[in-house]
Amino acid sequence: MDFQFLIELTINGALTGLMYSLVALGIVLIYKSSGVPNLAQGAMVMIAAYLVWIFAGLLGTPILVALFMALVGMFLFGMLTERFLLRKMVGQPIIMVVMLTLGLESLLRGIGPGLLGAAPKSLDLGLDMMPIIIGDVFINREYLVGGLIGAAMVGLSLLFFRTRLGTKLRAVSDNHISSWSVGISVERAVAISWGLAGISAVAAGAMWGSVQGVDWTLTALLFPAVAVVILGGLDSIYGVLIAGLIVGILGSVIPGYVDPLVGGGTRDVVTSLIILLTIMFRPHGIFGREDIERV
Amino acid sequence: MFYRLSGIHHTRYESARALWPVTADRRIVQGLLLLAVAAPFLLSDLYLTSYMLPWLIWTAAALSLTLLMGVAGQLHFGFAAVMAIGAYTSIHLTRAGVPFELALLGAGLMAALIGCLFGAAALRVKGLYLVMATLAMQYLVEWTIINVPAISGGAQATLSTPDVTFLFIPLQSDGALYYTALLWTVVVTLLIMNIKRSSFGRALVAVRDKDFAASVIGVNPLKYKLLAFFASSFLGGVTGAVLAFCYYQAVTPEQFGFNVSIQLVAMVLVGGLGSVIGAYLGAGFVLLLPIVLTNLLAFVAQFDLIPISFNLLSHIPLMVYGALIIGVILFEPLGLAKIYDNIRKYFLVWPFRHTQS
Amino acid sequence: MKTLLKGLAGVAGAMALAVGGTASADKEPIKFALLQDFTAVYTFVSSEYNQGQQDYLRLINETGGVEGHPIETIIRDTANEPQRGLEAYNRARREGAVLVDFFSTPVSRAAVNRVLRDEVVMITALHGRGDASHGETFPFVFPMMATYWSQATLLADYIDRHQGGLANKRIALVHIDSPFGREPLPVLQELAQQKGFQLRSFGYPSPGTEQSATWSDVRRYRPDHVIIWGAGGGQQVSVREAIRNGIRPQNILSVVWLSETDARNVGGNHMNGVKRFEAVASGREPAVIQDILTHVVEPGLGAGPAANVGSSYYNIGVATMAVAVEAARLAIREFGAPLTGDTLRRGFEMIEGFDARGLMPPVTLTATDHQGGGYGRVSQWNGQTWEPLTDWSNAFQEIVWHEIEKDAQGFRDGR
Repeated sequence: MDFQFLIELTINGALTGLMYSLVALGIVLIYKSSGVPNLAQGAMVMIAAYLVWIFAGLLGTPILVALFMALVGMFLFGMLTERFLLRKMVGQPIIMVVMLTLGLESLLRGIGPGLLGAAPKSLDLGLDMMPIIIGDVFINREYLVGGLIGAAMVGLSLLFFRTRLGTKLRAVSDNHISSWSVGISVERAVAISWGLAGISAVAAGAMWGSVQGVDWTLTALLFPAVAVVILGGLDSIYGVLIAGLIVGILGSVIPGYVDPLVGGGTRDVVTSLIILLTIMFRPHGIFGREDIERV
Repeated sequence: MFYRLSGIHHTRYESARALWPVTADRRIVQGLLLLAVAAPFLLSDLYLTSYMLPWLIWTAAALSLTLLMGVAGQLHFGFAAVMAIGAYTSIHLTRAGVPFELALLGAGLMAALIGCLFGAAALRVKGLYLVMATLAMQYLVEWTIINVPAISGGAQATLSTPDVTFLFIPLQSDGALYYTALLWTVVVTLLIMNIKRSSFGRALVAVRDKDFAASVIGVNPLKYKLLAFFASSFLGGVTGAVLAFCYYQAVTPEQFGFNVSIQLVAMVLVGGLGSVIGAYLGAGFVLLLPIVLTNLLAFVAQFDLIPISFNLLSHIPLMVYGALIIGVILFEPLGLAKIYDNIRKYFLVWPFRHTQS
Repeated sequence: MKTLLKGLAGVAGAMALAVGGTASADKEPIKFALLQDFTAVYTFVSSEYNQGQQDYLRLINETGGVEGHPIETIIRDTANEPQRGLEAYNRARREGAVLVDFFSTPVSRAAVNRVLRDEVVMITALHGRGDASHGETFPFVFPMMATYWSQATLLADYIDRHQGGLANKRIALVHIDSPFGREPLPVLQELAQQKGFQLRSFGYPSPGTEQSATWSDVRRYRPDHVIIWGAGGGQQVSVREAIRNGIRPQNILSVVWLSETDARNVGGNHMNGVKRFEAVASGREPAVIQDILTHVVEPGLGAGPAANVGSSYYNIGVATMAVAVEAARLAIREFGAPLTGDTLRRGFEMIEGFDARGLMPPVTLTATDHQGGGYGRVSQWNGQTWEPLTDWSNAFQEIVWHEIEKDAQGFRDGR
């Protein structure tokens, strides 16, 4: 088939993948500091998108102000979630923590659409809808902005981990007990990582909300995000970027060529296979840290 | 008070090892069983077909899953897919003219075979990674069912269950459907209770607690993990078939979606991991709570006391459901079974405060 | 947040679940069960749809009921879960409901055998099994509006008549990858052979919020016309992607699920010119909607935000209840009270040329045809409203009925 088709699929896939990274980043930030797999991140993205919509769509504040308000709101939301729910789960089996986050997802899915109405809301970030055209390659402008923001957020997170506070967070992710012993407040570090996950949820919610409208289906972003996290490694910020690109590109190129043959959307199959194959052959992902288990 | 221990002196190992060594427990179980058998004569068809019947079948499903998750410690987020395999296998077999009894067996075997593929992931990883792997397999199974018309049943993607007989009784009346489900749930319950006190069960527990340690004491973790997946998927597959024939009477892929898998896990966890009574309580909680809440709210809204929108009203059950799951996990991680156990222990020594055990 | 909540609650108003009211209370009420999905997959339509249903029934009750009988509604959320739908159905049946509307394909499918056995009328307008149009096989199920097959043939017919013919054209069907999305395929393939056009289908994964790869492929196919087949959030993504990929809005045709909300979400005037199948007129002009505005909405008896009145999905809800009430009226006149599921069914089958005073195409239901002819029209988004382009018509019903017969046969064989 023609080469430009491949390029277009690759570029748009890569950009979509970076937008998945935005969702995945929140999961990694939380897992890295506290070992909690946050399966409510999709719901947090939804809540963040509703927040942006409340400020921008309902109250009519300028979009930048709305985004800032949502950032503050979600940072607090993340911190409070950690304080009142997850902190009590320290030392519980992983399955309990997973179920708790799923319960949280249910709760948020009821609260958001319940209070604000279930019909999809439109979130206009003022982006031009028309694509950038290079030859016969069309590049989706919204995805371009979203992808760049995704890459920027990952970059910022990497920089953040080089600051004083970030160093503390890295220490916490290494070992809770040693961190305590050198005077780092593990609780505060974990709470901050939840707050940061809230912030990344705002970026994800705003971008995806503008692409697909704001309603509960935003929670479905969890699945591709999980693929990104598993492939990249649960505790690797850098992995989010690379894995996002891989998941996005494979999820775009393979269905592009295979779908016409099987007559059905295969992207979820690709995503599932990425999760499965990663787990079978390299469970800790490309950049994740391997756990060594002792009896 | 109710659970009088005085006068119970075990003089033989058999009696000490009995399923219900305390007379009061045995009486309660007998009473409940009697009530369950008499249910078609006591309950209106609404409560029989919409509450008791699905509750029993989902309990059987939760029991099958608790064998895997609670006893053997292997997390499974794709159990609805296993049940779907059972349901579709049984329908296609009966449509091909196989008797229902054999079709149930076939459903179990097919589900067990494919369920072992899920188990293959368990040989490599555990914990969170196993959750993700089984989740991915759930999607793959669902996709296959939807995209192969020969399985899902053509353009309408719906297969009605053919009229069948079970043990020479036609599965038509509400009573026949109910007793079939009851029989299967009782069988699964007894099976799980007995597995838990057999060497097989103890081996599974050893693998659950630490698989490396288990292999040190001579329990082959690979073998027992696969066996756990096989047994649990077999039971799950048959339960899926029972669900299709006794309750839905028509199968569509949506009946076994990802959210059903999550609900099953919620049943097991809310009830209490590995607990038999917990499976009953958990299934009742997860299945019936949203229904009861919806009806309750509709009843309250009738009087027009609280001015809230209908949209919010219909989302309240979802919120309460989420909040209650969070609540149970935060405040009683051992689940509803533990709450029952606390009550039982309280009465065991009543009017005193403390038990010995 | 508090004022926001208050505002929302105020707009929505107090919400009585039983639409009682001023209708003469001396005659026993007729019970309709609207057991729909307000919290899961169908939220994009159910709130407006249900609001239309409630408002219309309120109008009937305010103006004397059905031959003096008031209508009571039983409304429950099923969350699109079959087990909850069946519970709600059994409960409603025990309370004496003679008509049930699930507005959810999975729940309706799970309930088909039960309503046939219990003799309760189930309406499956624009959802559920298309082959339920076969009245002899499904005596108690009434799709009563154009099935998806009829919608596909009508859209093809529109291209054939008004957009330069079908012969030698390239038509792309871009659909959500689900049984619903693939439903139009067989009739379109049959038409492709008859009319000599090229047809290719492109599926995107559910829920359809990300479709870029699919549309890169669609663009390279260089279709003359694109038919989009999805529902909910995926629809506006489809429209945006199509326009982005250089497909002129005029050449985009949609299944019935494309609404004012989607146009708003696409934003600006980008969607101007996009066409869709329409089973019921939208807007506030139809006489029934005017009546609802005067008798229900203005006195503050409306079931939801007044802004929704006249939206596409609202009007579909009104139309379903208009047909149901008409059927009840006919049944009571013919067979007298009390209304049972069986007499209501026969009432449905007596409906002839009923158009709800211009709200919908004249529908005629018979004991064999529960679809009512498969009428509809094509309308176009003009930036403000959906503007009808054609008169009510149907197309290629022989192909549609071939499919209906085939699937109904399959259903009979399976039993």
